[in-house]
Amino acid sequence: MRFVDEFRDAELGRALAGQILATVEPGRHYKVMEVCGGHTHSIYKYGIDDLLPANVELVHGPGCPVCVIPMGRVDDGIALATRPGVIFTCFGDMMRVPGSEGTFLDAKARGADVRMVYSPLDALRIAKENPEREVIFFAIGFETTAPSTALTLKRAKAEGVANFSCVCNHVTIVPPLRALLESPDLRLDGFIGPGHVSTVVGARPFGFIPADYGRPVVIAGFEPLDVLQAIQMILRQIADGRCEVENQYRRVVPYEGNLRALEVMAEVFELRPHFEWRGLGFISQSALRLSDAYADLDAEQRFGVPGVRIADPKACQCGEVLKGVIKPWECKVFGTACTPEHAIGTCMVSPEGACAAYYNYGRFAREREVV
Amino acid sequence: MSDAPGPCFDLAGHCITCGDEGVEMRVLGVDAARGLALCEDAQGKRATVEIALVDAVAGGSVLVHAGTAIATLGERAA
Repeated sequence: MRFVDEFRDAELGRALAGQILATVEPGRHYKVMEVCGGHTHSIYKYGIDDLLPANVELVHGPGCPVCVIPMGRVDDGIALATRPGVIFTCFGDMMRVPGSEGTFLDAKARGADVRMVYSPLDALRIAKENPEREVIFFAIGFETTAPSTALTLKRAKAEGVANFSCVCNHVTIVPPLRALLESPDLRLDGFIGPGHVSTVVGARPFGFIPADYGRPVVIAGFEPLDVLQAIQMILRQIADGRCEVENQYRRVVPYEGNLRALEVMAEVFELRPHFEWRGLGFISQSALRLSDAYADLDAEQRFGVPGVRIADPKACQCGEVLKGVIKPWECKVFGTACTPEHAIGTCMVSPEGACAAYYNYGRFAREREVV
Repeated sequence: MSDAPGPCFDLAGHCITCGDEGVEMRVLGVDAARGLALCEDAQGKRATVEIALVDAVAGGSVLVHAGTAIATLGERAA
């Protein structure tokens, strides 16, 4: 594949692993969190943690939007999906996220018209093709995805597509990171920053992590050498006594982000006062809703939703996995009652969730040799 | 969910949302009036992409997420 092979070169990978080994201080334990679900997936898929010294621990963060959506929001979506005449659209990974009474797929099996889309624009196209039906898009994702939703809503408004609306579940990356850093049961030494979120927001929003909490951040790409190099850069900062935001993914991420994307997001969205995150609880100003100018396109306002808070299943320990307090295999139901085929918790639903990624790639090689 | 990839998954079974996925695509043609471009990925799969957030030019490359180009890419992007 063009340009990709060089970021998967085994020889370079071994060299980076050697540099990491030479950088760490024996006897010291390092905890590095990869914020993004895409990084979690790469780490397990390519066995990156097996290349690391035993005293470098990777902690999987909350950067999978599906994994952090609470059951009550799924129930709200299902309530909308089962309204007569509605075509309900969402990304494929949302289809199997369990609410208190099943998933969107279950609702579809019961007769609801639920359709998977690749982009919000596809949902808008469905609305134009079905002017007699109400078409609702269940928007989810961090700042990488929010601009796409915002542009679609701008188009819908400009073109007067009256039968299109959106349930906005977009979340923002900084507040949960701050919540994690404030968490007393988690001590982290550094962060692998999210690559494509940073394409939109830039590097500046992560400056509070070194400034306020004294932890290094390295924004990283998703190829195995990207992740390894980011880990090496974090450990290098620690060894040098430095603490800053570095950008390993400069070939894609500009320091200032995408200003046009930030402008369109500011026009279409506003911050919710608070939003519930699975495992992290309510976090202030951590999610987006439609601004007053776009209230007509807000499905929550147009139709109303139950808005009931639903407690997670007792057996599920997604919250502790999301906070990095326990590893996926330490959950009571991992790989037994909870599998990708029959997920209890959201971390097992999305392929980028820590549990699913570990189940698919890592569970056979847990006992690694001490380097 | 690797057994039944949906439309939001790439060929490797990633979820584009949760994976913070970005796909490099080459711009084949630009429809400036509609703010759209016809793009092609490394496997030759074509898609219409929203380009309001970038300065897309035919022959150039863009990073696409959920049908929207979020960045233009230099020669060595992956």
